[in-house]
Amino acid sequence: MPEWYGPYGGAYVPETLVPALEELATAWTEARRDPGFRREFQRLAHDWGGRPTPLYFAENLSRELGGAQVYLKREDLLHGGAHKFNNALGQGLLARRLGKTRLIAETGAGQHGVATAMVGAKLSLETIVYMGTVDMERQKPNVLRMRLLGATVRPVDQGTRTLKDAINEALRDWITNVRSTHYLLGSAVGPHPFPSMVADFQSVIGREILRQSRALWGGPPDVTIACVGGGSNAIGTFHPLLRTRTQLVGVEAGGDGRRGSLGAASLGRGRPGVLHGMRTYLLQDREGQILPTESVAPGLDYAGVGPEHARLHDSGRVRYTTASDREALRAFHRLARTEGILPALESSHAVAEAIRLAPTLPKTQRIVVTLSGRGDKDLEEVERRGVPR
Amino acid sequence: MASLGDVLARAKAEGRGTMLAYLMAGSVDDSRLLAAVDALRDAGVSGLELGFPFSDPMAEGPVIQRAAADALDRGTHWTNLFSLMRQISPHLPCAVMTYLNPVLQRGVGQALRSIRDAGGSALILPDLPVEEVGPFRALRRSAGVDTVLLASPATSGDRMRRLSEASEGFLYVVSRYGVTGASPGASPGAASAPLSGLLDQASRWRPGLPRMVGFGISRPADVRRMRAAGADGIIVGSAFQELLSGGAAVRKIGRLGESLVAALE
Repeated sequence: MPEWYGPYGGAYVPETLVPALEELATAWTEARRDPGFRREFQRLAHDWGGRPTPLYFAENLSRELGGAQVYLKREDLLHGGAHKFNNALGQGLLARRLGKTRLIAETGAGQHGVATAMVGAKLSLETIVYMGTVDMERQKPNVLRMRLLGATVRPVDQGTRTLKDAINEALRDWITNVRSTHYLLGSAVGPHPFPSMVADFQSVIGREILRQSRALWGGPPDVTIACVGGGSNAIGTFHPLLRTRTQLVGVEAGGDGRRGSLGAASLGRGRPGVLHGMRTYLLQDREGQILPTESVAPGLDYAGVGPEHARLHDSGRVRYTTASDREALRAFHRLARTEGILPALESSHAVAEAIRLAPTLPKTQRIVVTLSGRGDKDLEEVERRGVPR
Repeated sequence: MASLGDVLARAKAEGRGTMLAYLMAGSVDDSRLLAAVDALRDAGVSGLELGFPFSDPMAEGPVIQRAAADALDRGTHWTNLFSLMRQISPHLPCAVMTYLNPVLQRGVGQALRSIRDAGGSALILPDLPVEEVGPFRALRRSAGVDTVLLASPATSGDRMRRLSEASEGFLYVVSRYGVTGASPGASPGAASAPLSGLLDQASRWRPGLPRMVGFGISRPADVRRMRAAGADGIIVGSAFQELLSGGAAVRKIGRLGESLVAALE
């Protein structure tokens, strides 16, 4: 389990957290070799979660685009409505194995908070979710879902009041309660072992894509696309495909597209630094203060990115691009009308890239888009921005 | 002016307890901050930790978080911190306390040299683990600035050896599980047996290295408990910063300093 991805990664944390991170890395190394742990994980992922998820041919959208064939990896059909389930279940079982009685989590879009609340209910662990007040306002349905699942949602009113600040508060809680508590980090970010552990739990996405694409057309996809905030659905998608010939594309949030706007494109517009215990690309000013981000998708609205993405960016194995708020919203409506699917605004960024790319490629090529979540949580925001006739 | 590390080491050798005060640069007008520093020096503090704000201070409680936000809102830059430090350091030994990223973006060597040029003698970074202290130690001789490491109640015996061998100037011992500032639920060193065990372990490997205990210390009773557990000195931040940010009279900050210094003996 790597701690470093080239110069990125590490564990830059206050001393109080060091033993807990070491304990977690050891427990995970043991658990992944334990057939009993793997059996329980697979049973719950299958029966409770609904794995495997389909690889679905978006026939109508493909016909309209008139180029490459577009397939959707339907993580939106997973229990809870997003890929976040994969990691929340894995870490929840690990927390129980470690004898922890309390789960804490951060959430931006609320999908990771919902997944953690589900796992907390299932495993009878007290669950507290930190969420920025800006995000609570724009993702109300998920706040209610978390509460109905028995979790406590703690509003975070510091800083930019979004995902970054929710992570800060979760880390402060963990420093205070580390003996009883597992911090169930939701993205492939943070100090070691979180980035590699989360990538492991999410790699089921890419493994299934590879198995399904081989069954459908006898090879890997020509192009594989995923959206990137912290980057957990993307790293889970990319990992098993790194050694194949597929082109990998990560899509960051471009924001409102105004000149000078940074959106949340840490790889596209940031430079290396240290935040939340990891060395990675960050949107920051000259003196290292983290800059505010803006995106229509709260799950992408983050100034950093997982350290493995930083390395894949430098090596060129993955091409990272951006989609603007406007492109993502148009992709949302287009998928709704052509395929009868409401994608999460985060996933809509990946769909937007497929919409740009497919017409430029021949009909013999196949694009797979990881549809990381469903869009029910975003309906109010989408309506507010105007529904096209 | 002697370095902070030398001042603390001498006091330890003579059996005198010491206190460091922490204030956030740029959180209030410089003139008010300088007046507070004068009052604290008159009260008998041995040194000042000048905070440099970071946008995402993960080890801080509400008081220092707010002070950092205030400082950033007021447009605080490194140049403001160095200008304050140049005015304070001729009269009181100074350290800088911030987070790793602002130091990395300035460049480790450049940051250490700038601290030295402003008269500072130590740097404290709560998110710098002992595993990553190498580049800082390599520059210590040329820059003349100590890099102070933090130990905590979670620190194992093995790690305590690494920390006390690698820390320079003093060892910052975190009093309890938690972030900075007093909190109703957790008094510092509440389980004082582990704290004294921790302090014993720290002195086993570097008997001469001062062990300064901080986080959550705000009352004379806390100070006496820390001293009884074997602390060479204490560090008080949030209690002073709360008065400073809240607009309290400077003499009130001085009086709190006096009462805490008096409790050292």
